[in-house]
Amino acid sequence: MKGRQTLKWNDIIDGSRLATGGLKDFTSRLLQPTLRLGVTGLSRSGKTIFITALVHALLQKARLPVFEAMAQGRISNTYLEPQPDDDLPRFAYENHLEKLSGTDRQWPEGTKRLSQLRLTLDYEPTGFFARNFGSGKLHIDIIDYPGEWLLDLPLMNLSYQQWSANTVAASRLAPRSVLATDWHHHVNQMNAHQPAHELDAVKAAQLFTAYLARCRKDDVSLSSLPPGRFLLPGDLEGSPLLTFAPLDISADTQFASGTLGHLMARRYDSYVARVVKPFFFGHFARLDRQIVLVDALTALNAGANAVNDLRTALTDVMSSFRLGANSLVTELFGHRVEKILFAATKVDLLHHTSHDRLENILRILVDDAAKRAEFAGATYDVSALAAIRATREATVTQKGEVLACIAGIPEAGESIGKIKFSGETEAAIFPGDLPADAKTALDGELKGQLKFVRFRPPLFKDVTFPHIRLDRALEFLIGDKFS
Amino acid sequence: MTRNTRTPQAFVITDKHSAKKTEIIFANDDTAQTIVVAPITAVRRRNRGWRWGNILLGAIASLITLWAGFTITQMIEGFFASSPILGWTALAAAGIAACAALVIMLREIWGLARLRRIEKLQLTAAHALNQDDENSAQQTVAGLVSLYQNQPNHAWNIKNYNIHAADILDPRDRVRLAERYLVDPLDETAHRIISKRAKRVTLLTTVTPAATLDILFVAAQNIAMLRELATLYGGRPSTFATLKLARMVVTHLAIAGGLALSDNFIHLFVGKGLLGRLSTRFGEGAVNGILTSRIGLAACDVCRPIPQEANKREKLGSLLKELANFSGEPEKSK
Repeated sequence: MKGRQTLKWNDIIDGSRLATGGLKDFTSRLLQPTLRLGVTGLSRSGKTIFITALVHALLQKARLPVFEAMAQGRISNTYLEPQPDDDLPRFAYENHLEKLSGTDRQWPEGTKRLSQLRLTLDYEPTGFFARNFGSGKLHIDIIDYPGEWLLDLPLMNLSYQQWSANTVAASRLAPRSVLATDWHHHVNQMNAHQPAHELDAVKAAQLFTAYLARCRKDDVSLSSLPPGRFLLPGDLEGSPLLTFAPLDISADTQFASGTLGHLMARRYDSYVARVVKPFFFGHFARLDRQIVLVDALTALNAGANAVNDLRTALTDVMSSFRLGANSLVTELFGHRVEKILFAATKVDLLHHTSHDRLENILRILVDDAAKRAEFAGATYDVSALAAIRATREATVTQKGEVLACIAGIPEAGESIGKIKFSGETEAAIFPGDLPADAKTALDGELKGQLKFVRFRPPLFKDVTFPHIRLDRALEFLIGDKFS
Repeated sequence: MTRNTRTPQAFVITDKHSAKKTEIIFANDDTAQTIVVAPITAVRRRNRGWRWGNILLGAIASLITLWAGFTITQMIEGFFASSPILGWTALAAAGIAACAALVIMLREIWGLARLRRIEKLQLTAAHALNQDDENSAQQTVAGLVSLYQNQPNHAWNIKNYNIHAADILDPRDRVRLAERYLVDPLDETAHRIISKRAKRVTLLTTVTPAATLDILFVAAQNIAMLRELATLYGGRPSTFATLKLARMVVTHLAIAGGLALSDNFIHLFVGKGLLGRLSTRFGEGAVNGILTSRIGLAACDVCRPIPQEANKREKLGSLLKELANFSGEPEKSK
């Protein structure tokens, strides 16, 4: 009974947090039209690259024919504004760009902390009223963050006991059980109802973190690995907030005060309250538009288990977002995401004839979230894109058979069949055929039939990067704001 | 499921083309994405704020109307004063004139509105094609059908298209399908119209005795061609609509690559071709013919309710071949 009471109290607090955030945004929006673009994606899905490419394309007036406002020449100026929020670091756009276009051309490293960028577009509105009285200015706020942290969002709706039971159960299933032996060994020794011992908790947390890190390696490429700060602690390294781990208990266990279980549950709760919720309410609860980047290709590389896990992770994460059409009430008390684009990234690792098939696989992966979005009245779309296109297309005729390939310079250490790449030679890659029936991607029939190789960033020849459908994504996400 | 699986492979590209059993052909980058632009919109002036020129014209026009009305009333009053019969006759004539003026005005408005409608159609079609957008695709197709359904020669095409109307199609394909059934058949007629007028211009220029006269002939032929093309694609070229259309076509010509420099026909202009060396008049005629074909193609772009993809567009070359055939054997024998 007591548990339910506190839960209710939490709901009230969360609701008022939403409302204050909503009111604040509403008043600032009256003065200057601002759009919060949520670039969402699990780790290594290409958020940083997407943001860098997007900002660069808009700043440099790249070829974006499908983005109508720009194609019609109605966007007169684009520039980066000083930071709107004083407590957030700036997105290191220039550094990332330098890295991408420098002499040794590297992709940016994984993001380790939050950062933000404000991009402002001056444009000519089309309507009479807007032309004469509107400001013709739109601020776009973009936030970059480690994708690992996104995995924390589902924890907001779970108690420690539920989370423990789920995590332990999942770790005993097929691909994970082998990787979790060390941690399982330790879990089996512990009893949740013993008196709490700090060293036990530390040891458990260490082993659990090692297990999570192992699951993330390329050969298994699992995605659903909360809590995110365990993998990427940021400035919380070694903090008691991160010194907990799941125990082998059932979802409705009650702990007496002073037991190990009680200690763990308390730390879990503070983790949710002090780490997850501020992150969520500060950023995700205030989004207007959202693009969900999904790296389906890496998952496909690793096999059906990884794909299924990606699907679970996406479904869990997306269930935390507030989707739906906005009315005056929601404008005032908590904004909703009204347009959402699910995008399969790194589509330049595929020949364009396979893009449709990749989109079909993505449709299955985000099926749940898409249905929810549609039901709530939000518009959604599914697209395959590459923010920076690192390859070009080629056809290879071999023994009379024509293979649709992509060519570029594979990164050092990548290999396909017997060929290993040094990072210097150019190669045409045939990555295998994506299935015509997208469902086969989830049932393991494709084992060994696909191999996507990472490529180095393209040579920076012109002022802008080549891309695939970046303009279509822009048109869908922000195009309506310029009419 | 018997799917013949093709395993992932890599082909290292070396500097010397290792011509073993494999051959690597790189795709042209530009073909990755073709974008459709609505020609009319690209051509339109952007109006910002008030159009003072139009306000001036409007004010002057209303002044003249007032003056005319006033004078006519005075005149009729004068007729009534001398004889009632004369007065009534004059009144009837004035009434008929007013009716006719009204009808002409309505027709002009109708024509301009039709032009506007085609422009909107081009825009939605371009949007549907570029964005693969279901809504705009439906709008485009509905607009297309309503544009053509009153013309008896389209009945068969519309009937054919309607067979597919309920099918589930990708938005882009739906627009292209409607285009294939409803617009593509017109392209052939358009081609005939252009080549006919171009030939006529060539002939007229060649045989006209005075140089100033052929300017008039060429202009008249071009305007006539423009009207024919506009009518063909569903427009109603009244006087003002034709003027507007002509302006758009000229702007389109200026925007879309100038005078066929890209088509490698510059030598025809500079040297007036082989024809020009045989006979000055004939050379001039050929040049005028080429210009007319060029204008005709631009007019097609502007009038066509669904913008064409750049690579499918009719090329000047095919028209010129016909022109050369007509112009006689010399061109062939070179």
